[in-house]
Amino acid sequence: MLSVNDLTNSFTLDVSTYAKTLAGRYGFKDYMVERYYKIFGDWGVVEELLKSFDKPLHSVVRCNTLKVRDCGYLAKRLGLLGYSLSPIGWCDYAFKVLSSGLIALGATHEFLVGMYYLHRGSATLLPPLILQPNADDVVLDVAAGPGGKTTHISQIMRNDGVVVAVDVNRGKVRALRSNLERLGVYNVVVMRADGREVLKLFGEGFFDKVLLDAPCTGEGLIQIDKSRKVRTEVRDLANAAYLQYELLMTSLRCVRSGGYLLYSTCSIAPEEDEFVVDAVIRDFKEVEVVDIPKLLDFSPGLTEYHRMRFSDELRRCVRVFPHIHGMEGFFICLLRRL
Amino acid sequence: MPPEKTVKCFECPEDLRIKILSELHMLFQNDVAELLKPYSRLIICSALFAESYLISDKLMKAVTKLWGVSRNPYCAGIYLGRLRRSKPYLIPSAMLASAVFSKLGSYVNSVVVSESGLKPFLYGKDILKASVIKTYPKIVSGNYTFVLGSDGYVYGVGIAEVSGEEVGGLKDLDLVVRNVFDVGWYLRGGTEPRERKFKIRGKRHA
Repeated sequence: MLSVNDLTNSFTLDVSTYAKTLAGRYGFKDYMVERYYKIFGDWGVVEELLKSFDKPLHSVVRCNTLKVRDCGYLAKRLGLLGYSLSPIGWCDYAFKVLSSGLIALGATHEFLVGMYYLHRGSATLLPPLILQPNADDVVLDVAAGPGGKTTHISQIMRNDGVVVAVDVNRGKVRALRSNLERLGVYNVVVMRADGREVLKLFGEGFFDKVLLDAPCTGEGLIQIDKSRKVRTEVRDLANAAYLQYELLMTSLRCVRSGGYLLYSTCSIAPEEDEFVVDAVIRDFKEVEVVDIPKLLDFSPGLTEYHRMRFSDELRRCVRVFPHIHGMEGFFICLLRRL
Repeated sequence: MPPEKTVKCFECPEDLRIKILSELHMLFQNDVAELLKPYSRLIICSALFAESYLISDKLMKAVTKLWGVSRNPYCAGIYLGRLRRSKPYLIPSAMLASAVFSKLGSYVNSVVVSESGLKPFLYGKDILKASVIKTYPKIVSGNYTFVLGSDGYVYGVGIAEVSGEEVGGLKDLDLVVRNVFDVGWYLRGGTEPRERKFKIRGKRHA
């Protein structure tokens, strides 16, 4: 892997006059708009994407089937509180929140007793659904945060098997513990540690499946946080890519031979996505990119970008865009250790 | 939870395990470790205060890996509750009560509280007679009891001020349950301790 300085240089783009014009019009960093053009090759599509970032993102209620037998009952209760919910076709226990009720969704009695988890957007439901953990798996969730995906994994595993959730941030680990208790999740061991320590903690090949939703610049979440239009410098991208490479290399070693690792980010920057996966499959060697279940009509991963050429395998990774899929921007790649 | 480096977790010594499980047997009128199998191994994590968890053999394998490199989990399995130095040795958690009632398919040692009583309870207030819709035996004065909503979910844990059979004779403003933990803490968390301090008084069954 290159140094952060070299990465910064290789990520730097020459920005065209038109990219600068659009960036000024929509309030983005120049290089981001130039990058979108390099991804789509069409200024019309770039403008659609930029406009889509200004549309509100619907939050998502994930009915906790560990505590709720009939998710229709939960929808009815939230309906009585004034919420308008719409089912999500590819996840039969989740609902898009179309309009708000009188009480904040994070403060209802239904929330406090663990009937649901509140997600910022629907794309975040995808990684656990794609990883498909079984009830007898030992699963690692690296950079688990407050536990949206950890608790979803446990829900899919019906509270059986083992999930090890690791995060370095004290506040996030505290929130994770609260969420586990609230949602009645039993099958989790929480560890406060840097994700790069997992190999030292658990050893080679301890896990059947690993989910690495890597810390990223969050460029897919501009709909929620408009400051992300201008917050990330190219050097920040290089720092993120360097950390993501380290996390992915370490996490892969924790997967048993034949086991799976799902890498995802809430960023649509190729520097944090295909570039990182490409570097890892080149350096790790005993790994392949595998096809992802077609939950929806995903956009394929990139095989070239700017001056970079990635492995053809990267086509099997998937991208989610706000202007195409109506969700927050997301990148997902499923890897199998050979 | 105090700083992770100061936390020490270990498998519960047999004598303490017996004491904790017998207290839980009194509260739930069932062998909790048997009922929640495979979550039947008791571990204790101790720092500024001690907490206990029920974990399965599968979870134990992951925990043992951490112990092998001199590290400790932040938490694991079913949170049983916080330990005390004297009787009762355990303050049972709402998570445990939910797990037990879900397995039993029925309720014991609980009060069902009206919506108007739940709201103040979720801000840390106590339960008055006016809010009590129903009781499930056997509520013992001075012992823990569980607070349920009319939807059957566990909203918290408290100390019963009166026994179950005395509730009917109380006036509306008489105290029935003192709040020890309510799920409103999940919103207030970080600004106050999880379980409130309390003193045990009144008669308790041995």
